[in-house]
Amino acid sequence: MSQSSTEKTIVIDCHAHLEHHSVANWQESDRRLIQAADKLGIAKLCCSTLTPRRPGTAEGFRECNGWTADAMKRFRGRVLGYCYVNPGWQREALEEIRRCVEHRGFSGIKLYNEYTCNEPVVFPIVELAIKLRVPILQHAGHAHYFNEVQPRISDGGHVAELSRRYPEAMLICGHVCGGGDWEWTIKALRNTPGAYLDTSGSVIDEGVIEMAARLLGADRLLFGCDMSMTAGAGKLRAANLSARDKRKIWGENMERILQARGAR
Amino acid sequence: MIIDVNAYLGHFAFRQLRHNTATGLLKLMDRQGIDRAVVSSASAITYRNSQAGNEEVAAEMKRHRDRLIPFAVINPSYSGWQDDLKCCCDEFGMKGLRLYPRWHNYKLSDSCCLELVNEAAGRGLPVSIPIRAEDYRQRSWLVDVPDVPLEEIAGLLKACPKARFMLMNGIGFVKSALGRRKSGLPANYCIEISRLSAVLDNEIGHLLANLGPGRLVFGTGMPFNYAAPALLKLAVLDASKLVKDMIRWRNAAGLLGLAQ
Repeated sequence: MSQSSTEKTIVIDCHAHLEHHSVANWQESDRRLIQAADKLGIAKLCCSTLTPRRPGTAEGFRECNGWTADAMKRFRGRVLGYCYVNPGWQREALEEIRRCVEHRGFSGIKLYNEYTCNEPVVFPIVELAIKLRVPILQHAGHAHYFNEVQPRISDGGHVAELSRRYPEAMLICGHVCGGGDWEWTIKALRNTPGAYLDTSGSVIDEGVIEMAARLLGADRLLFGCDMSMTAGAGKLRAANLSARDKRKIWGENMERILQARGAR
Repeated sequence: MIIDVNAYLGHFAFRQLRHNTATGLLKLMDRQGIDRAVVSSASAITYRNSQAGNEEVAAEMKRHRDRLIPFAVINPSYSGWQDDLKCCCDEFGMKGLRLYPRWHNYKLSDSCCLELVNEAAGRGLPVSIPIRAEDYRQRSWLVDVPDVPLEEIAGLLKACPKARFMLMNGIGFVKSALGRRKSGLPANYCIEISRLSAVLDNEIGHLLANLGPGRLVFGTGMPFNYAAPALLKLAVLDASKLVKDMIRWRNAAGLLGLAQ
């Protein structure tokens, strides 16, 4: 990053993905991700591998997490792992999270759209995340129409509700710029100081970062791309915020979250 | 030199736009090092009578003709569009058209649209077509306006080979005839880069390879969008300075008839 706002801080993409190995050119895709990070000055990428189809099975998410663990070795120090699980496979999910975090050095948990995150089936996952002192990145989005493809997608309101139930949990509401009504999402999270918001997504609407900083505070915002690399980095470069606030968003806030479990 | 072919003045019905006056937009341009911008009315996207938006733009930018280049939003399915076009060209000095077929409820293959585009070609006006005004996933509960299908655009390019087009706010061109080599389409269109990738899938790189460097133009979508992502794409793009300059301004200058 050439901008002065990022010269003195680490840049951590809190929301990235590795390619599923059923994709023929997965190695090339992962390599391109690292190349893009190099070009954009992103030091670390917090990655998950998702099953191509949801709901993910226990076998499916174990396989994905194994590939994430491999990438953490292949790109040591660049790729940090989120353990992806489907909470519906409760026993297997809890076992997998323990295995990934305690023995494989994963940094967090990734939940997708199998359940809205305020459903009771998710609670044991959150309680384990609190115990292990790792964040949960929750796939989220709010649309003003019924999402037939993702009927149980969480939104900022669900994340806020979960945060009120578990204020000590480090919950990250995924991709505010992932295509839903970002103004709705920011307002829904306003009064839950324990929940973070990730700035990733392809939408680059002018003002989104400033509104999020104004209503939630820069301490609660995490830089992310979700594979929309120049959109992710560009909107934070453009945002009319102080250099101090930008440094927090670029990486200091995420670094603090990662350090909760132990220095990386 | 940077020319932004994709900028706006005025209001959008479903979200507050900041920096949407001529003065505000110029400040944004100065902050980003953008020299000139093609502007059209954002309000005209949802006005029934789009000419009211053109009148607002003409009044707003009177003192800024050195940097802002006005395009007219014309709805060919609305009464009096021929009068509106004449007024926009002859009185307001507008230099091109912007079409919103889905917002204005017509198809690019409709006879009224073909008539308008041919009229524009006769007047030497480039025709710009935004594939979308905003991301459809964040749409209001009041409207459901889909993106303009790329296939429909390809049909228009073929039907009006003498017209010149700018395709904006689009993505996925390389998977369509519009981004393929030897597609059989006339080379009468440029593609604006604000939604295209410069890393990972690198659609800009693929379009450079398939269509050549003369077919891409720089645009931001200001003030709907931040400008920095588009600038960042050019910064990280693997291309020569000459190619980047063509995208930054040379191609647009040629299309707009500006001195190079």
